[in-house]
Amino acid sequence: MKNILQFQSVTYIYHTVRGELIAAKDVTFSVGEGEFVAVIGPSGCGKTTILSLAAGLLKPSDGTIERSGTFGYMLQKDELFPWRTIEKNIYLPLEVRRQRSPQQRERAVALAEKYGLGDFLKSYPAQLSGGMRQRAALIRTLAADPDLLLLDEPFSALDYQTRLNVCEDVANIIRSEKKTALLITHDISEAISLADRILVLSARPARVLHTHTLDFGGVPPLRRRELPAFSGWFERLWGELNT
Amino acid sequence: MKHTAYSKEHARFLIKRRKNLTLVWTLRIGVLALLLGLWELVTACGWVDPFIMSSPSRIAKTIASLYADGSLFYHIGVTLWETLAGFAIAVVLGFAVALLLWWSETVRKVLEPYIVVLNALPKIALGPLIIVWFGTGSEAIVFMTVLVGIIVAILHMLSAFIATDPNKILLMRSLGAGKWQILFKLVLPSSYPALISMLKVSVGMAWIGSIMGEYIVSRAGLGYLIVYGGQVFKLDLVMSATFLLCLLAAGMYALVVLLEKILVKNAER
Repeated sequence: MKNILQFQSVTYIYHTVRGELIAAKDVTFSVGEGEFVAVIGPSGCGKTTILSLAAGLLKPSDGTIERSGTFGYMLQKDELFPWRTIEKNIYLPLEVRRQRSPQQRERAVALAEKYGLGDFLKSYPAQLSGGMRQRAALIRTLAADPDLLLLDEPFSALDYQTRLNVCEDVANIIRSEKKTALLITHDISEAISLADRILVLSARPARVLHTHTLDFGGVPPLRRRELPAFSGWFERLWGELNT
Repeated sequence: MKHTAYSKEHARFLIKRRKNLTLVWTLRIGVLALLLGLWELVTACGWVDPFIMSSPSRIAKTIASLYADGSLFYHIGVTLWETLAGFAIAVVLGFAVALLLWWSETVRKVLEPYIVVLNALPKIALGPLIIVWFGTGSEAIVFMTVLVGIIVAILHMLSAFIATDPNKILLMRSLGAGKWQILFKLVLPSSYPALISMLKVSVGMAWIGSIMGEYIVSRAGLGYLIVYGGQVFKLDLVMSATFLLCLLAAGMYALVVLLEKILVKNAER
């Protein structure tokens, strides 16, 4: 399996006037093509730092990060631009990358239509529900056809029911588009229901404590929650996070 | 035509609302009429000296005579031109400077104390300098208007630019956007409401600047009429010019509100 992302002994230090803060220390892991990897850890452990490093928004203080291919970033909130229609929002990555060919636009619109946003293309974000907006945000991320999706707690701003539904949606879309994904979350059950592999981080400075490969195969998130293995994994991860 | 579809309660609600609106407008006009009437009464009966207090009828006569000798629209025109020119320059320059300050944090830090001092400085203190530099014509007054308005315009726009949602900037950066793209696709569109409110504030500042300028140095304009009238004790002239100023300011404010409605409608489509 080809590696899309490779962290090799990555250390990251934040510098402020008051001093320096080691956010991540000696982090090593990789994400293979087509894999769905979730990263969990105690709050404030530097999960978002890992994602920013992966996206290239931060440069590591030490160690190397290898990336092959392009990536798309999905944030906690949808961050759709309220003055643009859904269609124009979805075109945003294409505009920024100056990919203005009609084929690319058609591909983006086809994605939106395939995943139930066809009727909302001419609507403004304020006219959509939270779940639909997050779905639009995912389609926007996919519009540029990234090789790797970086998901930063993309469901945490949603209410519980919407959250389960959108989680199911996103999992289906990512699997059927055969995308590689790296998910950051503090929600253990979300990690178990989505991932092929889970990395457990320590408290700050973040290190990789454990790596688990899950054997659910292609079972979708909501079904996974019903399986007996689910609670086993939950207890195990819960224990690892609280030591 | 749609009214039949409403319930009786809704019809009553609408009637009540309309009645309330009528009442408010009647009272508004009534207050004005009452004040003008009282003013006219106390001066006509000689309880108060009309030479000092003037009166509505004397104001009307003064305006009529200004109109008759052709100077009414001349003075209005001069003040209006100075105000609008100062307003336009202050808004455009202020916007440009705010952009520059947003673009470079270093420039912002360097210029910050100067802007703070300029903002706090009473611009009227610069009056003598302005006369020496620009003479006694309209240029001096336009300069004063720009001076009064530009700092507010800069600070208003800058705070809007800086308040751009950091998560949206992060999104743009993750898409690989450069600073120009972040500016045009994110910062400017999201500052649109601030631009409209800046225009509104700047209209008021422009009037302050132009009248203040005319107080210091002028040979024409409504501010000039007020100062001149005060000096030669023609209180009728002072009151008339003040009254005209009220009308103009109200008219310009109404225009800005109209512009706001058009712009906001356009933004929403």
